[in-house]
Amino acid sequence: MTHDHACDDYGLTRRHFLRNSAALGAAGVATQMFGDVLTATAFGASSASNVLVVVSLRGGADGLSMVVPHAEAAYHAARRNTALQRSQLLVADDTFGLHPAFSPLVKDWTAGRVAALHAIGMPAPNRSHFDAMEALEDADAGSAARIGWLNRLISGLSSAPDVFDGMQIGSPILPTLMTGPAPVVATKQFGDLAGLFTDSATTRARVHSALKKEYSAYGQAVGKAGLEALVLADRANKINKVVEAGPAAGVTYPQYSELGAALQASAGLIKSGVGVRAIAVDAGGWDHHVDLKSRVDRSVKELATCLAMFMKDLGTHAGRVTIVTISEFGRRLQENGSYGVDHGYGNAMMVMGAGVKGGKYYGRWPGLSAGSQVDGDLAVTTDYRSVLSEILRARFSSVDVSKVFPGAKDSPLGFIA
Amino acid sequence: MATRMSAAVKPAVLSTSQRHLLDRFTFGVNEAQLTLVRADGGAGPWFSKQWTPSKISDPYGDQVKSWFPRLADSPANAWARVKSGERSGWAYGHDMARYTLGRKMRSRHQVLEVMTDFWSNLLFIPVGEDRSFPWRYDYDRKIRANALTSYRALLRATVTHPAMSGWLNNNSNTKRGINENLGRELLELYTVGRPADYDENDVKNSARLLTGFRVKVFDTYEASYDPSLHWTGPIKVLGFTHANSNADGRAAVNAYLDYLARHPSTAQRVAFRLCQRFISDAPSKTVVSAVAAAYLKHDTSIRPTIAALVAHPEFKSARKRKFRTPTEDVIASARALGLRPTGARGAKPLITHLYYMGSQIGQEQFGWPRPDGFPETGSTWGSPARILRSWDVHYALAGNWWGSTDHVRPSAASSMPTKWPLSIDQLVEHQARVLLGRPSTSAMRLGAASTLNHVGSFKFARASDVSSWAWTVIRATVLNHPEGVLR
Repeated sequence: MTHDHACDDYGLTRRHFLRNSAALGAAGVATQMFGDVLTATAFGASSASNVLVVVSLRGGADGLSMVVPHAEAAYHAARRNTALQRSQLLVADDTFGLHPAFSPLVKDWTAGRVAALHAIGMPAPNRSHFDAMEALEDADAGSAARIGWLNRLISGLSSAPDVFDGMQIGSPILPTLMTGPAPVVATKQFGDLAGLFTDSATTRARVHSALKKEYSAYGQAVGKAGLEALVLADRANKINKVVEAGPAAGVTYPQYSELGAALQASAGLIKSGVGVRAIAVDAGGWDHHVDLKSRVDRSVKELATCLAMFMKDLGTHAGRVTIVTISEFGRRLQENGSYGVDHGYGNAMMVMGAGVKGGKYYGRWPGLSAGSQVDGDLAVTTDYRSVLSEILRARFSSVDVSKVFPGAKDSPLGFIA
Repeated sequence: MATRMSAAVKPAVLSTSQRHLLDRFTFGVNEAQLTLVRADGGAGPWFSKQWTPSKISDPYGDQVKSWFPRLADSPANAWARVKSGERSGWAYGHDMARYTLGRKMRSRHQVLEVMTDFWSNLLFIPVGEDRSFPWRYDYDRKIRANALTSYRALLRATVTHPAMSGWLNNNSNTKRGINENLGRELLELYTVGRPADYDENDVKNSARLLTGFRVKVFDTYEASYDPSLHWTGPIKVLGFTHANSNADGRAAVNAYLDYLARHPSTAQRVAFRLCQRFISDAPSKTVVSAVAAAYLKHDTSIRPTIAALVAHPEFKSARKRKFRTPTEDVIASARALGLRPTGARGAKPLITHLYYMGSQIGQEQFGWPRPDGFPETGSTWGSPARILRSWDVHYALAGNWWGSTDHVRPSAASSMPTKWPLSIDQLVEHQARVLLGRPSTSAMRLGAASTLNHVGSFKFARASDVSSWAWTVIRATVLNHPEGVLR
């Protein structure tokens, strides 16, 4: 097949870019882009702190294809072309099994490092990508202020959060969950944050000093950003000098994977020990209106491979890193006219790494029979904020979780120690 | 050239209100742009004239397409080349992105380019995407042809366009199996928006009405309408009802699109986005209502809608309150420096570098992966990391540090004053006026002089004494003023 399935839906332009720019010899840009990945060297004071990595599956991942309720007759009836049979699934129990493309993670599952949660979502259905992502990541329905929950977490960790406490890796645009008063950084890599004239301390000092004067005199948002930029440049420059490129031995992230590149940079950042506390990673391409089978297969395979490599890459640091996947909504139970599934409601989440009591499925499964559906979709029996609260309580005990998720009710599933 | 404005030691600058209009409705001001504006009698008359592009000759803008000959391929031919492995869909997308940057750089129809950019971001389709790329250039042509007309015309030209059908899966939305993707985004993104409170039945009906449009995706990309695939029967979406009894549903679709274009919620949504783009991140309800009222009063016509926006006091007070997007930054800086891309054939064409410089700062032209378009909020681009990257790119542009080919770069001497000697301070003042349209600051003068290891009063006896390094430092220092990333 000559056409390429890797660029559907959301989030894959850079993958295209990487693959094709190599072929076109585009001025070495491809190697610049992820050329400065960081590796293990202790730096900074808080190198032992716990880290939360949030992987956003943008587009609305189909939880029913990922964590398959194989025993449900309604699932097989609604998905005549796209349902998976129990015999195809991995690590199945009587209710669920994992999509076969999760195979790279089976070893971690069996070792108890990975768990799956089901029937998770927002308290009310919202089938708009953009509204749902916004609400999910703001997670404070009572407030008009656009402050994301990850930013509130960072604010709660310290009275003066460090500029490297919160990082968005893989895209230079901040997602809502990171937005807010605590300083956070979005980047594809660290090399491009080092600032001007890194090869001449004297010139750099002079240029920076004039810029400092210029931006503080100008004021406003741009003035503040300019002053923070100068601080950021000095820090990033130091990190860059300390760390070297390349993942741990034996770790190979998939080629041309935007997610792999972002996780590789994230692993480097964690291992460099600058004290990062929260990392947001975007994984696009989960909007499966057509050809569900092949697309989920591809998306899950990439996700599972990247996450398995990421955990391996972390090495001894894995003991302080907890990873959670989240998506704006699940898909409709009923497949559509294009062998795909449109926007639905209840969904599955994956949690892995530090503290996770893995190798198990968790959830209050509502079933898929007609009476238990919501508008034809999987119902939500556990608020996603409760899942995240459970992780924060276990891993970030100093944080007042009620301030991160105001008004959310707890209903723990017991998946984390 | 005796009349060269930059020949003066202290070149004249436009009044702040004229400059503001140009900052918001061009992709960057330079001496050539100012010459055109002055010939028209100022920014106001120039702006009026811009709304009839057919009356403004555009020799350089018209040439840009010839830099990318494959854009002329029919959809079938484009696909055939991809199938044979000769070219990738990405390469077609890369051409589209650079073609667009080329027009922004070179076209005299700046208002047309600005409005085309705005609508392309509202009715957004990425480039190089598999299901739409063979039709993406034609889609762009349709937007540009309607960018100064009416939103009603724009909707008709875009929603059922084969590129849109491929991108949002309408090509597989048939009466035998509904695909809600386009039907939903039409309501949510392109017209009334979520505040209109449509429900899931409205979404389904919206999708049903859109059945029948075919594109042979991954085959020949031939586009057609097939009545046998059109869902017939009564349709109700919000206040729109239609018997939809005809197997050919296209008349019903047009009526539906007209209804949506004229809906007050659409007026609000379009007005809000226009105000966000051209005024500020958080425009007042007053100005949004005024713009929406003009939109409705003039039956979605774009020119009077923009006229209402520009006439509003909030527009005038928004000077320099928007961050430029990375793409806008790169283009405006390159234009300010007088760089003129001339093609894309060489090894390292400037037009290609402009694309990658935007990417380095954080935005590729048309590189957004979702149908909602890049955020219109400038604060998206106001992070410390972005500022750092812009500083780097300004230096790279000023000094040609990427070694770009395929462009005209005015010689230093031809950009400098003609009367010598001149101090560093005087050259900084000169360049602040040329590049930013404003006087220099003490920090700019200090920054340039100290980077050059001199004092500001240090004098050059003649143009040829100003080294290429010194000229780069002076210009990059000016561009790295906060207003270098604002519009």
